[in-house]
Amino acid sequence: MPSVPERVDLANLYKHLQERFPCTMSAANSGAIAAVTLNDLACLPLLCRFLFWEEGCSFGGLIVEENARRWELRYLFLAPYTGWIEVLIRLPLELTTVPSVSAEIHAADWYEREAEDLFGLQFEKHPRLGDFILHDQLWEEDVAPFRKSFDISQTRANGQRNLNWRPLLVVQDPGAFAMPVGPVYAGGIGESVHFMLETVGEDVLRAVPRLFFNFRAVERIAEGKNVADTLLLAERFAATSSFAHSLAFCSAVESICGVAVPSRAAQLRLVLSELERLRHHVGTIAGICDSTALNVSAAQAAIIEEQLLRASCRISGHRYLFGLNIPGGLRRDFADDQTGYLVSATNEALEQLHVLEERLSFTSSFLDRLEEVGIVDRKSGRDLNLVGPVGRASGRCHDLRRECPYGAYDRYEFEVAQEQEGDGYARLRVLFAEAYQSGNLIRQAIQSLQAGPISVACDLDRSGAALGWAEAPIGATIHWVRLAEGGKVERYRAITASFNNWMAFHSAVEDFAFQDFPIILATFGLSATECDR
Amino acid sequence: MSFWFWYGLQHGIQTTRYPRVHEDAGGVSPGRPVTTRFASSAEAEAAASECPVGAIVSRDHFAEVELRRCIHCQRCRYPAAHAVDWKSDYEWTSTPAGKSSYEELPGAYRRSLHVMVVDAGDCGACLHEVKQLNNPYYNVHRLGIFFSPTPRAADVLLVVGPVTENMRLPLLKTYDAMPNPKRVLAVGACAIDGGVFGRSLMSAGGVEAVLPVDLQVPGDPPPPLAVLHALLAVTGRKTPRAISDDAMRAR
Amino acid sequence: MTAITLIRVSLGLLFVSCGCGVVLCTVFQPKACLRVIAVLGALSSGLMMLASSVVLISGQTPVIQLWNLEGFGHLSLRLDNLSSIFLFISGLVYLPASLFVSRYLRDRFQGRYPARRFGVLHFALMGSVVVILSAQDAYSFLISWECMSILCYFLVNYEQNRGTDARAGYVMLAMSEAGFLCVVLAFLIVGRTASDFTFPTLAVTARHLSGAGVWAAFLLGFLGFGVKAGLVPVNFWLPRCYTAAPTAFVPILAGVTLNLGFYGILRLNVDLLPGHLIGAGLLVLVTGSATALVGILYATAENDVKTMLAHSSIENAGIIVAGIGASLVFRAAGFAVPAAIALTAALYHVVNHSVYKTLLFQGAGEIEAATGTRQMDSLGGLARLFPGLSVVFLVACLSISALPPFNGFVSEWLMLQSLLRSAVLSSAVVKIVFALCGAVLALTAALAVTCFVKAYAMSFLGLKRGVWKLDSSGLFGRSGFSSAYLAVACLLLGVLPTFIIPVLNRAVGPITGASATTSLVPAFFKAGESKQELPPAFVEDFHNLGAQTGAKILPGRGLVILVRGNQPNPVVFASSPSYSILALAILLMVTWLIVRRSTRESNTSKNEPWAGGIPRLLPEMTYTATGFSNPVRVVFQAIFRPNTIEDTRQTVSVHFRTAIHRRRDETHLVDRLFFHPIGDAVVWFAKRLAEMHHGRLNAYVSYTVGFLLIILLLYRLT
Repeated sequence: MPSVPERVDLANLYKHLQERFPCTMSAANSGAIAAVTLNDLACLPLLCRFLFWEEGCSFGGLIVEENARRWELRYLFLAPYTGWIEVLIRLPLELTTVPSVSAEIHAADWYEREAEDLFGLQFEKHPRLGDFILHDQLWEEDVAPFRKSFDISQTRANGQRNLNWRPLLVVQDPGAFAMPVGPVYAGGIGESVHFMLETVGEDVLRAVPRLFFNFRAVERIAEGKNVADTLLLAERFAATSSFAHSLAFCSAVESICGVAVPSRAAQLRLVLSELERLRHHVGTIAGICDSTALNVSAAQAAIIEEQLLRASCRISGHRYLFGLNIPGGLRRDFADDQTGYLVSATNEALEQLHVLEERLSFTSSFLDRLEEVGIVDRKSGRDLNLVGPVGRASGRCHDLRRECPYGAYDRYEFEVAQEQEGDGYARLRVLFAEAYQSGNLIRQAIQSLQAGPISVACDLDRSGAALGWAEAPIGATIHWVRLAEGGKVERYRAITASFNNWMAFHSAVEDFAFQDFPIILATFGLSATECDR
Repeated sequence: MSFWFWYGLQHGIQTTRYPRVHEDAGGVSPGRPVTTRFASSAEAEAAASECPVGAIVSRDHFAEVELRRCIHCQRCRYPAAHAVDWKSDYEWTSTPAGKSSYEELPGAYRRSLHVMVVDAGDCGACLHEVKQLNNPYYNVHRLGIFFSPTPRAADVLLVVGPVTENMRLPLLKTYDAMPNPKRVLAVGACAIDGGVFGRSLMSAGGVEAVLPVDLQVPGDPPPPLAVLHALLAVTGRKTPRAISDDAMRAR
Repeated sequence: MTAITLIRVSLGLLFVSCGCGVVLCTVFQPKACLRVIAVLGALSSGLMMLASSVVLISGQTPVIQLWNLEGFGHLSLRLDNLSSIFLFISGLVYLPASLFVSRYLRDRFQGRYPARRFGVLHFALMGSVVVILSAQDAYSFLISWECMSILCYFLVNYEQNRGTDARAGYVMLAMSEAGFLCVVLAFLIVGRTASDFTFPTLAVTARHLSGAGVWAAFLLGFLGFGVKAGLVPVNFWLPRCYTAAPTAFVPILAGVTLNLGFYGILRLNVDLLPGHLIGAGLLVLVTGSATALVGILYATAENDVKTMLAHSSIENAGIIVAGIGASLVFRAAGFAVPAAIALTAALYHVVNHSVYKTLLFQGAGEIEAATGTRQMDSLGGLARLFPGLSVVFLVACLSISALPPFNGFVSEWLMLQSLLRSAVLSSAVVKIVFALCGAVLALTAALAVTCFVKAYAMSFLGLKRGVWKLDSSGLFGRSGFSSAYLAVACLLLGVLPTFIIPVLNRAVGPITGASATTSLVPAFFKAGESKQELPPAFVEDFHNLGAQTGAKILPGRGLVILVRGNQPNPVVFASSPSYSILALAILLMVTWLIVRRSTRESNTSKNEPWAGGIPRLLPEMTYTATGFSNPVRVVFQAIFRPNTIEDTRQTVSVHFRTAIHRRRDETHLVDRLFFHPIGDAVVWFAKRLAEMHHGRLNAYVSYTVGFLLIILLLYRLT
């Protein structure tokens, strides 16, 4: 029985907040429903604890901005079915020490490490700062590339290497050793992630991922560019969810400019988002079948994925749906024969997917490799704020399309897939269920497609900041944009689902057999490049 | 378990007959902009100004396309007044700028090529397209091309991404670990000149800044058939385009 | 000079030189003592080998009368074939061992070692070993056996001031004494009605023993000698002792004194006791197999080099004893030829084991002296630093893993072949036991490969894992003459088995009644001569295959070992390590030439190992010895029964894992099943006895009165 989170009573929440914490509530910053400005820094962990544990909000992320005069730290929380709450802290620029909230909200761990690496902020009592984005063996200690004073356009001639660097190993046993996997992917074609699998010979006791080999500092490069160029960056830093990212970015810009997207554009955006989700999930399913070496099923899933890629190309001109979103709507319209073709292509893909799922559920050797493997239980899922299909397979029922509807999602009926076991097979079932729902949504939206303009003009010469969000195939994605005078981007922040889920990955890989490692990786279906940005 | 066997047989042969026959199924390639002649130079300039990365340069009545910079944003394709022509093909491999010849691998490698793929900061699209080469539609195994898990057994280093600072050293080590003869293939606009990420503290701006590149495949991302064309060109089974022969032809 | 005179003279000179060694070592300075050990030790070993080889070649076995003591009878020595084989092995091992002792102590301690006492003990031990092996009566045997035990104890605890575990020596002494008591009882049972205690007289008397008497003597003797031989369940002193013994002594402990146990078992069972008990033979076989399995399991799981070699000695002892047991069973059942093959295999294994185990222990000593550590988890990368030592250690590891062309292969192969001969036996139960023991020995052979791959690879190959510093003198890690000598011996024993088997046959023949040479190495080279032994048509076929290669150059009977079968199938299996190594050498040479010819330009470049693109491959990223053998530990968990002492996971801020501590401990199987229960029982009994000592005078008086009453009663009754 899927569980549904309770709607938060806002009035009560405001009352409690004002009673217990020295803060001021203010009107919504565009996109969020409430901004809580905390005046006393020391209460920050307690306030976050209150919102996360007692009120049942989920943690959205941390946004750090360096203004001319002060730091602004925004802790985002999502009150389910209600909206975003941001907790705002303002600090003078000289003060760079902030109390860490990671003891209360474990899901904030990596956000604080990221802020420390990129901005140089120190979080007191954080268990491990450093060696995160800027790997210790390459970078000196006090490099903070996201500070305004840092010139990011200069390349480093030859990276400085710290030859004495040793990895931090956790297992203390006389015969323990760590097997390094990566960063150059060891199995053929894959993303650059580095793991140290610590073991005493049989079971792997602990696997720690080191990411950010694909870190391109997209958020920093975007500063000073106009919206059109930043849109290019937003859709191209993680291409397999590019439509969702561009959608989130455009929603943020539309919020700043105060425009409402026409309904045909909203419906078509929904269609294209679901097309991307369907294609992404089929790709993940193909990856899972490949990791268990069931070659025929992997080939069949790959066939379906290629069909969807070709369908995307035929209607939009690009296999990954690049270049379609613009602030205000879509760049161009789709004719009826194109949308009709899309429906038939989707139906065909779903039929084949049904057959594949049925075949797989009868293959016991395949299921044996997925069941009870890489379990993330419900408590860990809540603790570490798992998002996306992975989170929904561990009993979490959060889906931005339902909790915080955007675009045309409030007009259509769909189910949020949910499973309880949290193992590989549960994640596979969630992927299949969501794929069917996506197909369903595409059909519904195209059948009820309204005529009308495909975009509205968006006057970009505005300043302000806003939040845009979307449920990407991997999970909840948040983009925060601040525009300055002249429509230049002053701060661009992309909080991605892969970042959240990679942070939680270590809880699925403790005490497992080495052969299960690629399978656990495949069932999570995470993207290192989306996490790295 | 026998039903997997029959299930696979039911779908028949999906594999393309490229390279023997040109593949023209829909959606196989996004196509590419080609140099277009316009009625007036003002239109050519307007067409050139649509491109956010400067891949189109206007010269008199012509809007000349430098395909190596194209990022497939399609902004030049759709404005009604000054749309650039697009051609739907996929054989785009070219040699790097400044090099007009390419030394192919010896004949022994023609039907036995091992490729090492390194993700040096890729957005995921180019890598995904390379991965599609193993699916039944393209099936590079039939052409004798294999993806190697280790550089020690590889002949070609296929790099995607603009070479981030954190991946610079692993990429160099991979190149050093490959035995001679070896070739380097830069796939995607990011690998050619940094794409939308350009040169910065965190990004070298293309593989050429780090390694000697033999062949480049433009596109963002290049479709699987374009990558396949490049892999065939490495051993001389296909010919890479020289630089901007489009411009030459239009003249 | 006749053979007998030569034997007497060399034996006499041997004792003289041992005596001189003792005297000179008491007189000279420690540095000179080391030279005495080297020179006189080499001389004595040479004399040992001379005496025994003359006996074996000439076949003369003179009796040397020593003293005629009142109440003891005649004390005499006699080198018969069995003794001389063991004496030759001792000489073979004592030569490099003495040289190693001298060089090692000189380099390690630069004259500050108390070598005087060591020299005295060394030569005294040598003398007592010779007397044990040549004793012809029970008194000289037992006296020298006891001397040997005590001298071993002194030598094992020689470095107790330097912090080694003194308890190890005590355990060994206690077990040796217990074993000695059992052996004395066995001799008493056998010679209850004998006039004197010389071996021939005892052999005659033993024929009149009842069945129970034979069994009692056999069991006591087996238990007593099994202590020295390192058999389950009385071998719990061995790992402790070998680990604690000083490096200079361990090679001798493993290469010479271990063999005395086998000698004792053989002497008792084939010479003194009548050999008609199949049950006794089966017991020996089963004990040997169990010992072998337990030994190799613990060897594979062990990370300390010396302890691992100790467990491996237990394993090899088990194999030898299993061969002896198989031979006893065949002999009791009346099948002389299989008995001969089994006994040949066992004796061959004794030779092989002495040679390669000495070499391994010397290598382990060099490693410890050079790096300061014995833990394989911390070693690694020694091959680059010590190429010579690496080669000889590799030779020893290959030999002990029973890989051709080295010596271990021949004896293991013959052992398994002899167990397969059990098909001729009639009793189904016996055949099943043989089959099971054969399976166990095959398993131990496989585990031995794992164990020694780990030993060599983890110590010599890969990256340096620990933080030890190389000893700066540079004197260690060289393989001196002694190691090279032993390595060459390994190779020769492996490549020329057809010359060794006839020598062993001198002892095997009289014991089993069949000639091992005839059954294993018929005169293959000369077709005419072999007509009596093999069907001529068969010989012709083999000659056409080229088996006569080398007939003109090489003396002897041929280079092929055949395991003979029945009329329809004259040859069950044939093997020729000599031809194999020749073929191997030729193939390697040809391959090398072809490769050199066909690769014109050198396209090779040296590069660091590929590790996925990480900046540097660190030692903590390479396999450790524990990790390598962990699968064996996991599979045989029921035997190891590890206890987890500690398995804690530390976290910071509730969710961040900083450390996972795991420690496991295990008690040895034999300790668990025998040592600790016996110890606990003895302590319990002692506690009960201690309750008698309560200090109350009245009770002591009542003890006296009670005892008096008992004596009066007994006197009344008898």
